[in-house]
Amino acid sequence: MEIPPLLVYVGALIGFVVTNMILTHVIGPRKKTAVKDMPYESGMDPVGDARQPFDVKFYLVAILFLVFDVELLFLYPWAVSAYLPEGQASGIPAELRGTVFGVMLVFMATLVIAYAYAWKKGVFKWR
Amino acid sequence: MSSMIPTLMTLAADAVPAAPAAVSVVDLVKAQLPTLITIGAALGAVLGAVSYLIYVERKLAAFMQDRIGPNRVGPWGLLQPIADGAKFILKEDVIPAYVDRALFLLAPCIAALTTMLAFAVVPFGPVDNAPSFHRFVIVPNVDIGIVFIFAIGSLAVYGIILGGWASNNKYSALGSLRASAQVISYEIPLGMSVLGIALLGGTLNLEKILMNQAIGGIGSWYFWTQPLACLIFFVAALAESNRLPFDLVECEQELVGGFHTEYSSMKFALFFLAEYTHVITISFLTVILFFGGWHFPGIAEPGTAGFGPMLLKLGVLMSKVFAVIIVIMLLRWTIPRFRFDQLMGLAWKVLIPLSMANVVAVMTVLQFGWSTWWLTLTSVGLFMAAGFIGVQQAQVALNQGTRRAKSKDHGPVAHAH
Repeated sequence: MEIPPLLVYVGALIGFVVTNMILTHVIGPRKKTAVKDMPYESGMDPVGDARQPFDVKFYLVAILFLVFDVELLFLYPWAVSAYLPEGQASGIPAELRGTVFGVMLVFMATLVIAYAYAWKKGVFKWR
Repeated sequence: MSSMIPTLMTLAADAVPAAPAAVSVVDLVKAQLPTLITIGAALGAVLGAVSYLIYVERKLAAFMQDRIGPNRVGPWGLLQPIADGAKFILKEDVIPAYVDRALFLLAPCIAALTTMLAFAVVPFGPVDNAPSFHRFVIVPNVDIGIVFIFAIGSLAVYGIILGGWASNNKYSALGSLRASAQVISYEIPLGMSVLGIALLGGTLNLEKILMNQAIGGIGSWYFWTQPLACLIFFVAALAESNRLPFDLVECEQELVGGFHTEYSSMKFALFFLAEYTHVITISFLTVILFFGGWHFPGIAEPGTAGFGPMLLKLGVLMSKVFAVIIVIMLLRWTIPRFRFDQLMGLAWKVLIPLSMANVVAVMTVLQFGWSTWWLTLTSVGLFMAAGFIGVQQAQVALNQGTRRAKSKDHGPVAHAH
């Protein structure tokens, strides 16, 4: 019975990481002091909370990332099957290639419009 | 609870009815032997390579900055990595009182795990004539190899953001916020730059991409037809690995250690390991995708069998990868760090439009059956156009800046008149 190599690898990696964590936890010395327990702020006493609200820009970037990443997921299957070398039957048949080409151009154009809109709205401007 | 255990056992027995009673642990391990040997070799090689890459990097940095570098432990400091490793284990493992313990411990695990997992589909040797007990790629013949690497690679951002949030430290929080924005921004040009290769070769399988180039000879290395994609891929991958000049995540002057400020001993080492493993992986990817992998005309050709050619191919691949790693290290001390707005601008305003234009160029050339050498020309053209526009924009910004500065200088004077 052969286990999929990926699972074996994941198992080995988890073993490696956990062993490392436990090893250093057990072997290393331990001495708690009040100063060591503080958040590090270059030697000053920490002021306020680290978990503050952050700039909405990061959120916009995340949303745009989502849009483009999903778009990439659509592009991969097309890219693999669109122009297969001669003799491989699994690709897009030759008579449909023109149509697919047109569709992809429209798809990209839509994307470019969205991209230009985001640019105009100043999503890519940092400050 | 006690009634559940028998039920579970019968369930398990039902689930594997065909398995003979004598599937012993020994047999099970024997069946995984090629996998286990490959994993052992790969992990050992990566860990060894990481520790000595750090040594090489320190020596190289010392050389570039006219210093001596590590030279105390062993001859020429060659035992330095071992001393460092021992120290990482023996040092105190500090967990500050204000952190979120579970996530704090989870973050370095995720960081190391994901980057090393991405290495699973990378062929680190000639797969076609590998010895029978060992096969030079941990998970062979994955058809979605590139997508797998990118998917796992974007999981690495969890390690960073969990580490930053759990630390409850302002430096960490800011660093992880920057890191996540940076990593997801560069993910897009990274993914788009390989679309050209997927179109040209009709596959995302790294072994097949390598074979395509090996069979086609040096002229079919994708670097020649996709130089722009190669550049975009390299820059984006470098940014993904958070190394200088893209290491805004941990830029020492502003954020101390960035997201791993609060980490010590082995937990810090795991973050470090993750970064270097990432560098190794992207070097392998650059070589395999654009520079023909183990292929080199006259030295390592496809179709040769036996032990000698195998060693040659391994040697060629390793030298190419090492060359890329050296380039990455040299870049570190050559280009100053980017400002954050420049960094995001580079991803969103330069790399993404360029890679998109590249994809359109490739699909147009393939659709109309033109020679792929037109792509070389388009790449160079696109690159020059981008450079031209960039220089002009910089000039405009500079002029505006000086005008603003001038009007500021003369402002009070003009007012007085």
